[in-house]
Amino acid sequence: MPLTSITGRSVVSGKAKGKVLFSSEAISFLGGVNPKTGLVVEKGHCLEGKSVKETVLVFPHGKGSTVGSYVLYSLAKNNAAPKAIINRIGDPVVVVGAIIGEIPMLIDVDIDLLNDGMMVEIDADRGIIKLIDA
Amino acid sequence: MELTLAEERILDGEEGYAHQLAMKIVVKLGEIFAADRLIPITSAHISGASYKTIGDAPIEFLEDLVKNGARASVKATLNPVGFDLHDYKNWSLSQTIIEKQKLIIRLYEALNIQPILSCTPYYFEELSLGDHVAFSESSACVYTNSVIGARTNREGGPSALASAIIGKTANYGLHITELRQPKLLVEVETPPKEYAEFGMLGTYVGRLARDHIPIFQGIRTATNNQLKYLGAGLASTGMVAMFHMRGITPEVQKIDIKECCEKITITQDELNNELHKLSTTDSIPDLIFIGCPHCSLQEIQEIAAYLRHKKVRADLKLWICTSQAIKEVAQEEIEMIENAGAKVICDTCIVVAYLEQLGIKTMMTSSAKAANYTPHFCDIDSVMNTVQGCLDTATTKLKDI
Repeated sequence: MPLTSITGRSVVSGKAKGKVLFSSEAISFLGGVNPKTGLVVEKGHCLEGKSVKETVLVFPHGKGSTVGSYVLYSLAKNNAAPKAIINRIGDPVVVVGAIIGEIPMLIDVDIDLLNDGMMVEIDADRGIIKLIDA
Repeated sequence: MELTLAEERILDGEEGYAHQLAMKIVVKLGEIFAADRLIPITSAHISGASYKTIGDAPIEFLEDLVKNGARASVKATLNPVGFDLHDYKNWSLSQTIIEKQKLIIRLYEALNIQPILSCTPYYFEELSLGDHVAFSESSACVYTNSVIGARTNREGGPSALASAIIGKTANYGLHITELRQPKLLVEVETPPKEYAEFGMLGTYVGRLARDHIPIFQGIRTATNNQLKYLGAGLASTGMVAMFHMRGITPEVQKIDIKECCEKITITQDELNNELHKLSTTDSIPDLIFIGCPHCSLQEIQEIAAYLRHKKVRADLKLWICTSQAIKEVAQEEIEMIENAGAKVICDTCIVVAYLEQLGIKTMMTSSAKAANYTPHFCDIDSVMNTVQGCLDTATTKLKDI
C-alpha cells in the first residue's frame, strides 16, 4: 500500500494545502530570499530563481544569520511567504521566523519521503502531512 | 514544559499581541531544546542593529512591536550599528542609509533597549557568577559565560529581544550546571602573550571545537582583556559559547578534568600557521584596525601610551574602535590618540560598518575575529598582526619597513 501520510512535530499550528517546493540544501533567508517577492536569490543554491511564495517549502534546516527570522516576517506581510514550512531539523532562525510570520510549520519530518511538485495537505495542529498525489 | 499560570495567560494573549508573541518565541525554542520551565533573567543584549547587515528586514517587525506597546522589562542593551553616529559626514553614506539606521535605533529605543551600540555590554552592568541573562552577539556570550560566570545561551537577535520583553528565558543549555562541563581538553604548549595571540588561539581552536566547550591547560596567567580576544576568536570560527581555563576562569574548580573525552595539543607551529591563514595578502594596508571586540579603558590607555610621541603615517588610516561610554571616561587618552593622527570610532565595528564606501582595499588588524570575518563581510583583504605590529606599521615611515 502506498504511503498516504507522514508525521512531524508541530511548531506553528494551522492548516495548508499546496505544492511542495523541495530543497535538498539548507536555506539562509537573510540574503538568500528576497523579502518582497519570495524569489530565492542565493547564487548557486538549488532553488535559485524559484519563488517560495504560496508553496509548501520543504528543506532540511535553516542556516545563516538570525536576522533571517525577520525576513520570514516580511515575506508574510508582503504576501510572499510559503503556505507552510517543513523541516527535518528545527533550527531557531526558521522556527522564530515561522512564529512571528504565523506560517504553519512542522519539524522532525523525514523529508526524503517528499518530492518536488507533490501536492500535500498539512494539518500542523495534529502534525500530519497528507500526500494527495501518493 | 511546565508554565506558571501567569505565563500561560501571556501565551493565551491576555496581555496583548506583543507579549504573546515574545512568550511564543521563548516557549517554542524551549520546547525544541527540551527545557523544563522558564527562568527569570537579569538582563539581555540584542544584536541585529546595523542596517548594513540586517537591511529592511526587521523594521516592520520592530514597528509592529512598538505599536503594540512592547517594552523590555529588564535591562537591555543594543549591539553596534553601521557607522559612528557622531562622526559619519566623511563616510559618503546615502541619505537612505543614514535615515534607516537612525530609524532602527529609534525603534529599539522605543522598546526600552539602551543604545549603548557596543558588543561589550559586560563593561556597563553588574553581572555576577550564576546570573541568568539572554545575550546575542557571540563574543559577549563567551565572555559572560567564561570570564564572569553568568549564564547565557548563544541567543539570536529575535530570541534575545523576546526574552527582554518577557524578562525570562527557557531553562536549557548553558543555564544548566551539568551542561557547562568541558568536552575538549586543549593543552597549550607555548602560552599566548599578546591580545592577538589569544585571538588566534581562539580562531584555531574554534574550528576544531565546533559546539563543544573547551578547557585550556598550560596558560599560567591571562588578563580579562586577553580572555576577551580568546573568546571572540572561538565564537567566530565555531559555535563555542563558553570555555574554561585551568587556574583562571571562575567555574573551573568544579571540573573533573578526567571526564573530558577528547584532547588536543596546540604548538607554536599551529599558531604561526593561523597567522598566515588569517592573512589574505602581504601587501601594505590602507587601514589598520584595533578594537574588535570594542576596546576596554585599559586597552585605550595602552594605545595612548604608545602613540604619545608618535605620528601615524599620512598614507594610511589607524582606527581604534570602542564604545561611546569608554570614550567619555578616557578623554585625555582619546586626545593623545587623535593627536597622533589616529581615529577613535564609536557605535560601530569593522565587521558591520560601511567600509566599501571608503575605498579600503587592505586592512591590518590585531583582532583574529575581524581578520576572519572582514574578507567575507566587506570584500577586503586582511593582514593579521599583533597590537605592537599594528601600531609599529601605523607609525613607521614606508621606507623603513
